Amino acid sequence: MTYEEKLARFNAHIEAGGKVETEDWMPDDFRNGVLKFIEMHANSEIMGAIPEREQVPRAPSLKRKMSLTAKVQDEVGHAQLLYRVAEDLGKSREAMFSDLVNGKSKFHNVFHYPTKHWGDVAIIGWLIDGAALVTQAALLDSSYAPYTRVLKRICSEEQLHLRHGEDISLELASGTESQRAMFQDALTRWWLPIIHFFGPKTNVEKDLLLRWKVKTRTNEDLRQEFLDRYVPKVLELGFEFPAPVPFHDEESGHWLIRDEDIDWAPLDAIKRNQGPETQRRLNLRKTVYDTHRWVRDALAGPAIHAA
Amino acid sequence: METWEVFRRHGHREPFEHCGTVTASDHEMALLTAKECFLRRREGEHLWVVRRSDIHSFQDETLLEIAADKSYRFNSGYRDVVAKRERARARAKELATP
Repeated sequence: MTYEEKLARFNAHIEAGGKVETEDWMPDDFRNGVLKFIEMHANSEIMGAIPEREQVPRAPSLKRKMSLTAKVQDEVGHAQLLYRVAEDLGKSREAMFSDLVNGKSKFHNVFHYPTKHWGDVAIIGWLIDGAALVTQAALLDSSYAPYTRVLKRICSEEQLHLRHGEDISLELASGTESQRAMFQDALTRWWLPIIHFFGPKTNVEKDLLLRWKVKTRTNEDLRQEFLDRYVPKVLELGFEFPAPVPFHDEESGHWLIRDEDIDWAPLDAIKRNQGPETQRRLNLRKTVYDTHRWVRDALAGPAIHAA
Repeated sequence: METWEVFRRHGHREPFEHCGTVTASDHEMALLTAKECFLRRREGEHLWVVRRSDIHSFQDETLLEIAADKSYRFNSGYRDVVAKRERARARAKELATP
């Protein structure tokens, strides 16, 4: 069979809703595209553990400290699951890690920003995990089957994180004026990055991963689902959104934001790895990777049994 | 002859699942036998066989238990979220009325 024939058969398989397994034949563009996509997801999980980790010492109670620590552990675990799936597509974990810490590969925009106080933990756990869950749940039907099987586990844990985040948010919202001010301050700082999180409008014609059904929905479609689900929940607690301010469109019933209200400049800087915390967090990741080399070496060595 | 554990995958949503055991002299015979036994009516699309002696498990099952109270790892640890939402809504109303 020629390459063209294989490609035609592959496209027809995908078109008919078929799934792809690691051992199946796939075009190079598909393999590289899926690899890059999952690698970015894995990078985001492992970098995403850092902002919340920064707040562990500030947890208001032992219970909160334990639950936040458990969540950070879960996120690192998600990265490990995803790196494993990506490795099977032909890039070693060492290479992926090296590309991450040397700024050659990317991670999600929201993890390039600083955290200031416990209000940030509420926003990250509720709204950012909520946004992530919308995008990840949409991938459960992706055409690359090994990714979907891992995502099932990840989504069920994210669901728990969402409850954890909502629990913290509601506690702040029903608390003192200074607790409510913390939540509002965090919301004001994080709102634009959360809107950026979904990315600019998808170019449907050019998006290979969308055509091959690795991705199943457009960025704007996912952002809309997020707005409709979360904007009313925040408003009923009496908080206010900064720009881009969402408004209710009576005709369609949707919570909308205007494209011209979104300032994309901060996202463009992050794409060049020039976000406010990018370098500091990558340096931390690299330092930990280097100073913990002995742990990996010890684990990879032969077992030594006590006499 | 050896004992082989058989794993089968049906569709693409679920991982391989253990479906039974066969006795065979090598992995090729084990796969053939497993196919006859466990894919007779297209119950799946893919099979694995693993030598039983290559499978390891905990001898002491108490080691699988979670060592302390980790209720925050479970949804049931956040069951009072509905009451909390009510409280937060009430607080928002209280602050909105001058």
